[in-house]
Amino acid sequence: MSWIGFDHPWALLLLPLALLPLFVSPLRLSSVPSDEVAPPDPLSAIAGATIAGLGALAIALIVFGLSGAHRRDQTVERRGAGANIVLLIDRSSSMDSTFANRAPDGGEESKSAAARRLLTDFAARRPADRVAVAAFSTAPMLVTPMTDKHDAIRAAIAAIDRPGLAHTDVGRGLSLAFSLFDDESSETSRAIVLVSDGAAVIDRRVQDALRDAAARDPVRLYWLFLRTQGAKGIYDAPAPGEPDSPQVYPERHLNLFLKSLGLPYRAFEANGPKEVSDAIREIDQLEQRPTTYREVIPRQDLDWLCYWLAAGALLLLLGAKFAERRLDDGPIAADWNYGARPAGRAT
Amino acid sequence: MKRPDSRTLALGAALALSVAAALQPEAEAEQPTYDVIAFVDITGSMNARDYAAADGKPQSRLDAVKSRLATAVGRLPCGSRFGLGVFTERRVFLLFEPMETCRNFNAISGAIAGLDWRMAWEGDSRVSAGLFRAIDAARPAGADVMFLTDGQEAPPLRTDMTQSYDGEKGDVRGLIVGVGGTDLVPIPKYNDFGREVGFFSMDDVPQASRLGPPPEAAESLPGYNARNAPFGEMPAGEEHLTSVKEPYLRELGEMTGLGYARLGAPDDLAAAIAANARPRPLPVAIDLSPAPAAAALLALVALFGAPLVARLRRSRQTYA
Repeated sequence: MSWIGFDHPWALLLLPLALLPLFVSPLRLSSVPSDEVAPPDPLSAIAGATIAGLGALAIALIVFGLSGAHRRDQTVERRGAGANIVLLIDRSSSMDSTFANRAPDGGEESKSAAARRLLTDFAARRPADRVAVAAFSTAPMLVTPMTDKHDAIRAAIAAIDRPGLAHTDVGRGLSLAFSLFDDESSETSRAIVLVSDGAAVIDRRVQDALRDAAARDPVRLYWLFLRTQGAKGIYDAPAPGEPDSPQVYPERHLNLFLKSLGLPYRAFEANGPKEVSDAIREIDQLEQRPTTYREVIPRQDLDWLCYWLAAGALLLLLGAKFAERRLDDGPIAADWNYGARPAGRAT
Repeated sequence: MKRPDSRTLALGAALALSVAAALQPEAEAEQPTYDVIAFVDITGSMNARDYAAADGKPQSRLDAVKSRLATAVGRLPCGSRFGLGVFTERRVFLLFEPMETCRNFNAISGAIAGLDWRMAWEGDSRVSAGLFRAIDAARPAGADVMFLTDGQEAPPLRTDMTQSYDGEKGDVRGLIVGVGGTDLVPIPKYNDFGREVGFFSMDDVPQASRLGPPPEAAESLPGYNARNAPFGEMPAGEEHLTSVKEPYLRELGEMTGLGYARLGAPDDLAAAIAANARPRPLPVAIDLSPAPAAAALLALVALFGAPLVARLRRSRQTYA
């Protein structure tokens, strides 16, 4: 009975009152000295027991109602098509300017505002997802742990166009992202979506840690690169003779590094909100794997049901009461009235 | 037909009352809920261990905040909303916008548990600047602000300059929560890999402010050199030790129109939020059905109990 709960369990102490009807009948007492005078009648016995039972039932139901009986909220596991996703979002201050690298004005939204809008839609379209949100800038930060509460996911995504910080430490951000998958996220449906408008050199030690993490927890990796006008792109190769170093081409080298992890990996280069939207739509289509997620069915009060049932029992009792015939007031009494004298009121 | 007897009346009354209860009469009432964004100081001084965990081990200020804040948020009435940010250097960083506290409690407590001093992006701790930014960050969300700090300014403030708050005092409500003990304790020091390597000593931290132009009559300070030491030599001080700076935090509270409370038990913290944040009335339906249901129960108990009492009394008379 773990599914039933009581708001005021102490009210259940009134339950013994339900025994009262077993001792007392709601019908008037008759002063026949003994019921031996009446022949045994199974029908009457059943009727009597029913009347007592109905009284007990009515009292018990009202007590249950008063104690606030309810069905507890239930979590049901549902299977859906979705994924366990870690959104790893760049919160460096460059995200607060537009794709044209200007301060956002009425006409053009900032990269972070576009990301916020499109990711909010993305999460809203995918009810079967569990999502964790992490941010990185100078340091990686956990925003919300893996959760299937879409309210929480929305609130976490809503904060990404708040003012950001200075740097873009992608490496440590990724290593935080790998750590956010919990035991509940099934291994076949894990994905990391990295949203950033730049890259940075990843420290050797962090590179090693990331390779370890990638070997341990295989995930699918998406990099949504919001390319600012004039900035270097993922696929920009240096001209012959120019040095090809991560310091000069961090985006190109991050792409190469992510490829080298041996994970299923896609990079999207978006030059404007439209392309971000297309990329997110594509991720949406790719990440449709069987997942289990929990849905909470909220608690349901049962007191109204208790009261209706009690009312039903009382209605039957009232019917019995109206059908009551006394030995001295009906013609039925005429045959049997040898033992009875006109009765006084019993109460 | 005869006049119905008292039992019929009691039974009829019980029936009518239980039908009334089953129809679930409701009254509209208002419950106060709160909408706060908590900004937690994650600067170095918050690593000082002057709290004790439940098992008696020393606990850092940040850990004390983490364990109590999550519980306090759970004590807020359902429908309240809670957002979280961190403070270091001179600014704040909002992690998530306010979300409903009851349904999303696991996400909120998980995020609070994830707070770490390693999230800090700079080592400075300009508490007043951070507080003013926190108020600015809470304003667009329409939320109240909660700023949890020990009040340790690093580098220390200029004693000859007064601070002022340009914002409108009291347009964002909320409270400052003072964290830490009143006795001075050392601040743990960490190396580049985040491992603890002892405590800050007097020479590790500036003991007096070196910001802005040197004060007047600096020439008379010991060690003064117009080019190399315009402030004179660094005085001895206690800035490498830390305690909760209550008078200073109260003063900041006065300046910005925020309340002040010391970090206490989770219940006290929730009460402090309720006392200082703006209550937002949330209409809730109050179920009135227990009243008719209780009356129905009384009628039934009278119906069945009265004859029993009468019978008992009669039998006592018989044997008396």
